[in-house]
Amino acid sequence: MEAAFGSGDGDDEATAVVARSQASLGQIFEQKYRPWDGELGPRWMRNYAIFRHHVYGVFTGKGHRQYHPMVRLLILIIFLASLTPIPMLFLSSFIGDQGGFFEKMWGINRYNLWGQVLGYFPRNLCMWPLLTAIVVGGMISDDRQHGTSAIYFSRPISRLDYTAMKYLSVAVILGFVIVFSYFAYYTSAIVFKSEGWAYLADTLPIFLGGMLAGIILVITYTSIGLALSSISRSRFFAAIGFLSIIYGTKLVSLLVELQFETTFMYALSPYDCLAHLGQFLLGIPSNYEHPVSISAVSILAMNSLAVWLLVSRVTSLEVTRE
Amino acid sequence: MTMESQEPPAVLIDQASKWYGQVIGINDLSLAIDGGVTGVLGPNGAGKSTLFKLMMGRIKPSQGSIRLFGVDPWTNTSPYRRVGYVSESEKLYEWMTALDFVSTLARLHGMTREEATERSSHVLDFVGLSDVMHKELGKFSKGMRQRVKIAHALVHDPDLIILDEPLHGCDPLARTSIMSVIREMGEQGKTILVSSHILEEIERITEQIVILHNGRLLAIGNLHAIRDLLDKHPHRILINCEDPRSLAGLFIEEDPIFGVRFPREGQLEIHTNNLSAAHSVLPSIVVKSNQKISSIENPDDNLESLLNYLIKEGQ
Repeated sequence: MEAAFGSGDGDDEATAVVARSQASLGQIFEQKYRPWDGELGPRWMRNYAIFRHHVYGVFTGKGHRQYHPMVRLLILIIFLASLTPIPMLFLSSFIGDQGGFFEKMWGINRYNLWGQVLGYFPRNLCMWPLLTAIVVGGMISDDRQHGTSAIYFSRPISRLDYTAMKYLSVAVILGFVIVFSYFAYYTSAIVFKSEGWAYLADTLPIFLGGMLAGIILVITYTSIGLALSSISRSRFFAAIGFLSIIYGTKLVSLLVELQFETTFMYALSPYDCLAHLGQFLLGIPSNYEHPVSISAVSILAMNSLAVWLLVSRVTSLEVTRE
Repeated sequence: MTMESQEPPAVLIDQASKWYGQVIGINDLSLAIDGGVTGVLGPNGAGKSTLFKLMMGRIKPSQGSIRLFGVDPWTNTSPYRRVGYVSESEKLYEWMTALDFVSTLARLHGMTREEATERSSHVLDFVGLSDVMHKELGKFSKGMRQRVKIAHALVHDPDLIILDEPLHGCDPLARTSIMSVIREMGEQGKTILVSSHILEEIERITEQIVILHNGRLLAIGNLHAIRDLLDKHPHRILINCEDPRSLAGLFIEEDPIFGVRFPREGQLEIHTNNLSAAHSVLPSIVVKSNQKISSIENPDDNLESLLNYLIKEGQ
């Protein structure tokens, strides 16, 4: 009993150990709400916030959209690859290769300018479709998958503005790689060769034709890619869908050409329509038998269909997932 | 729930219905809310979140109309300049810090970078997250995430704040601070709609309630007023006293009292169909009985019993 109740000798000296760490009493903070008397900004400021969120995210995820490091790396690799003619031009100028191999392969002429944007290998086989697929894949499908489109739709941003800013963001990223690299190629040729005004006047119309072809390519790929992203809940299927359309239509058209000796089916291939139109704009002989107007109408139809699909999907989108 | 000014009410729902295929989300709901804190109650699947999603233009009503400040939010997003929304489980940008996240969303309201940063710091401080505002959201606890969501809903100083289950999954400390934020915002004169399945906590925030069940509006108004309206449902008054039997004799003679029970020793339970009438005769009977009363309780006059009763009636 003595032991059980601890009431005997030595009890006076008994000690107990108490945990010294104090229980958290919670945080006490000054809860004073201060109303805001500022003016909320106009529509363009709200739209710009969406645009910068997506575009700046390519460079830094801090406070902006997060692109996967592999996506950023691929964009960088494709961008650097698209600039490869520039060191060749430098080398050509450095070794004084006037009219030689380097000049022929990378110098400024109609064919090389066309090839810088619309050449099939490697640019339209490996680079531009892959670039579009990785940039555009999750642009809307991620929002659909995670319900983050609600972040925008709960704010004074119309669905049309949301779509337009997504579109513009993708177009600017693609444009930066495709059109800027084209521009850099042309200007570096002038700088390295120390060409004057006469050269500029001679080549500028061809350069502008190529730039227009590049812009149409960016618009077309953006339209098709975003339309696929808007109907998908997965970035993978949007990206694969885009690549399938580009490569699939090209392959089918090629098979039809080999079998039936007609290039008409190329009117269904986005790449070939762009290449055909580009040949016309740069004034080089066409590889296609059908008139360029068919390719132009086809591009217009593809863009219209894709933009219609994109807008109708986003404007009717119900954010039920949370 | 008052319409004193000429301005359209913050929320006006007119015969709105929403179907998800064969499932009814909201069924012919009409409602006007303007000013103060209003609790939206109902069991799971009652249509609370559907109601909020309709208000926030996330889904389109299958029938009827929704107006926020007199404007249809599905076709015109301008009312969202005056609305802050905390969804039940909205995905956050996990890689961002709390400050970056809230200021990014502030900029979607058209604030400049400086305004957005300054205002975001203030609202994060207001919800008690000033010391962790530079931490990534992915490292936040559920309660902290809820407070971040409240901060982003408040960043543009909205007139209408909609909170869908803001206390869900929060620890007691977070609950207390969120409730305190809601009360403070209510005192600022804002219209606040808050849903919860934790009835006691709604009771601690507001007495103005909207009760939904199976997508239908079951009741709207003051909690106690609604309770009083339910005359056919018997109310109980529990009295702890020295001699329940003599007290029962006095009560049974009174009109509003139709029954008595003795659930425990020293306890009298009286049954009435008119709670306020019963309470008006209660003091005189207590004086007349000349005995010590230790407590008087109304076990039916709480939110849970009201909800249970209304749901049973609605079925």
